[in-house]
Amino acid sequence: MTSVVLEAQYLDKFYGPTAALSAASLSIGASESLAIMGASGSGKTTLLHCLAGIIPPDRGRVLLRLGGTETDIAALDERRRSQLRRETFGFVFQQGLLIPELTALENVAIAPMLSGVARRVAEDNARQWLGWLGLAGLEDRRIGQLSGGQAQRVAIARAQVTGASVVFADEPTGALDSRTSDEVMDALLRSTTAQGRALVVVTHDADVAARCSRTVHMRDGRIQPAEVAA
Amino acid sequence: MIPRLTWMLARPTRESLGVTALPVVAFGIVTALLIAVLGGAQAFWSWTDDLAITYQALAIVALALLIVPLTTLGGSAARLSARRRDDRLATLRLLGATPASVGAIAVLESAALALVGAVLGVVASFGLLPLLALIPFRGEPLGLGSVVLPPLALVGVVLGVTLVAVVSAVLGLRRVTISPLGVRTRQDAPRAHWILPVLAVLFILVTALAMSALSGLGSIVAILVVLAIGFGGSIAVLNLIGPWVLRLVARGRVRRARTPEKLLAARGILESPKAAWRQVSGTAMVSFMAVFAGSGAAVLDALSGAEGADSETRMLTADIATGLTITVVISFLMVACSVGVNQAAGILDRADLYASLHRLGMPPAVADAARRGTVMVPLLVTSLGSAVVAAIVVFPLTGAALLLAPLSLVVIGAVLAAGILLVRLGLVATAPLLRRASLSVPVSV
Ligand SMILES: Nc1ncnc2c1ncn2[C@@H]1O[C@H](COP(=O)(O)OP(=O)(O)OP(=O)(O)O)[C@@H](O)[C@H]1O
Ligand SMILES: [Mg+2]
Repeated sequence: MTSVVLEAQYLDKFYGPTAALSAASLSIGASESLAIMGASGSGKTTLLHCLAGIIPPDRGRVLLRLGGTETDIAALDERRRSQLRRETFGFVFQQGLLIPELTALENVAIAPMLSGVARRVAEDNARQWLGWLGLAGLEDRRIGQLSGGQAQRVAIARAQVTGASVVFADEPTGALDSRTSDEVMDALLRSTTAQGRALVVVTHDADVAARCSRTVHMRDGRIQPAEVAA
Repeated sequence: MIPRLTWMLARPTRESLGVTALPVVAFGIVTALLIAVLGGAQAFWSWTDDLAITYQALAIVALALLIVPLTTLGGSAARLSARRRDDRLATLRLLGATPASVGAIAVLESAALALVGAVLGVVASFGLLPLLALIPFRGEPLGLGSVVLPPLALVGVVLGVTLVAVVSAVLGLRRVTISPLGVRTRQDAPRAHWILPVLAVLFILVTALAMSALSGLGSIVAILVVLAIGFGGSIAVLNLIGPWVLRLVARGRVRRARTPEKLLAARGILESPKAAWRQVSGTAMVSFMAVFAGSGAAVLDALSGAEGADSETRMLTADIATGLTITVVISFLMVACSVGVNQAAGILDRADLYASLHRLGMPPAVADAARRGTVMVPLLVTSLGSAVVAAIVVFPLTGAALLLAPLSLVVIGAVLAAGILLVRLGLVATAPLLRRASLSVPVSV
């Protein structure tokens, strides 16, 4: 592991009496792909949300190290975390959760537009990413007119177009067959680790985990002691 | 078994309380407004002299005008209560409930919400009636005694509102079975042939010509008939070309949009110009009516004053203006309520999407601005567009009104502006729902 881009230290998160996370610690290298596995309800999504600044943990720190500065995401207010999510992180969810009334191109372009990038520039950029992910010619399709795998690649383009340093994916292949799932993983890895960016994938699929450089297992909100990577 | 299941599903929990309350409040408002309108009409029926028949005819016209926004509001309230049920209904289907029993539950729940709302509306109407009683017609206030409906009529109103809810729920269910749950199908506005707008323009011009010949007609009855045809026809034309115009406007805005909220708003309209139109079409009629009848009343008023007409005619025209203002205000109230209710339904519909956009870092304010745009743009296009069409149709009248009674046009303008503001308030009222949807972190996904 060269340099650490994101480090979680002793995260606790409670939902009522449920400890969704307890003392979870983890670090992610700058161009590493990390798979998080574990039984349903073991806290994978909660960990991902804390790492990405979607929800703050009850205790612990989430350190982001970029360009020589260190920021504790857990201590930022919602507005600053929102900005981080827009500019530094990218997200791919299980069902793309793309905006149905926009075209594929607009769905990708809207991410940089939210940070104030001019629409023309944003769309040019988006077009390049879509082309690079094998979606050239589908730019003007609406989301309903794409297959599940295609939609997921649009979501990957959206996660990448802002130049995110870390991409978070929560069961990105959960709704896909194994071949399409392979293609989507190809696209994800090609657009992250291959470009020197970090990828964090929550998955139930051992094949998906096998393609990542490292796997951690969770149980009852804890990260299990290191095992032999699958 | 079905009533028990309905209660299990409809029973307000803490999270769903706001959502259950919304349709109830909406049905309550429908009922209170309906009672006020009927109360006013009843007052007219208590008169027995020569003029009474004219007032009664006008009351029927006002009631007819209010039916459209009223049923729209009733339909929205029913749709909202259907929307919050969708996911639970799907679950029921998975558990093996038959479509028939699922349908029965849906209808029963709508009916129950409407019934509770209607009863609350009756209670609320007792706060409204004293105000109504103060409104002067024929030179004196209506009086509380003449606007209070007999108990039997109140029961009838409650049952009527509930029936509207049941009918809309049944119609809504049919729609659900046609298009599978959760799938947004693209309903294009029927690609209007270019001939349609051309015909529409022709109709408007011909109507305008007919209107200019209006003064040649001797009897007030003939004038009213021509007015009714012109009014009804123009409204029908507006309804035909409305979605088409919105689609055109939205297309242009998609191309020109520079910010995410503008792009989202324009795409939202383009997604279904028909739905965008339906949401605000109530205003089209109201603003058309305000200009059309308002300038007519102003001219009648000015003429009767100038020619030293008898006091009866003068009073009639003044009363027409009063009745018109009330009808416009009530219509706008209903439109504002149905926009609010529709928006609430839409937000619930897209809660997952809003939550995911928030996770991507889209500030809730941007999502809210986009949503406001999908209503305000059609609203402005619609209300201003219809006002302009009405102004053209009654150009001779409007022109005269401008000369004879400029103040009345200012009043019409102010009433329209207030109405648009009301609708805007309906939008603002639903903003907290969107915030909550954005900030929720679903357990799954
Ligand atoms: N918003 C919430 N409110 C209450 N409890 C929650 C919430 N989110 C998660 N939990 C609880 O926290 C625990 C961890 O949930 P989490 O979603 O992180 O699990 P997961 O590992 O992602 O599971 P899955 O594989 O099923 O997605 C679970 O017990 C869950 O019930
Ligand atoms: Mg999960």
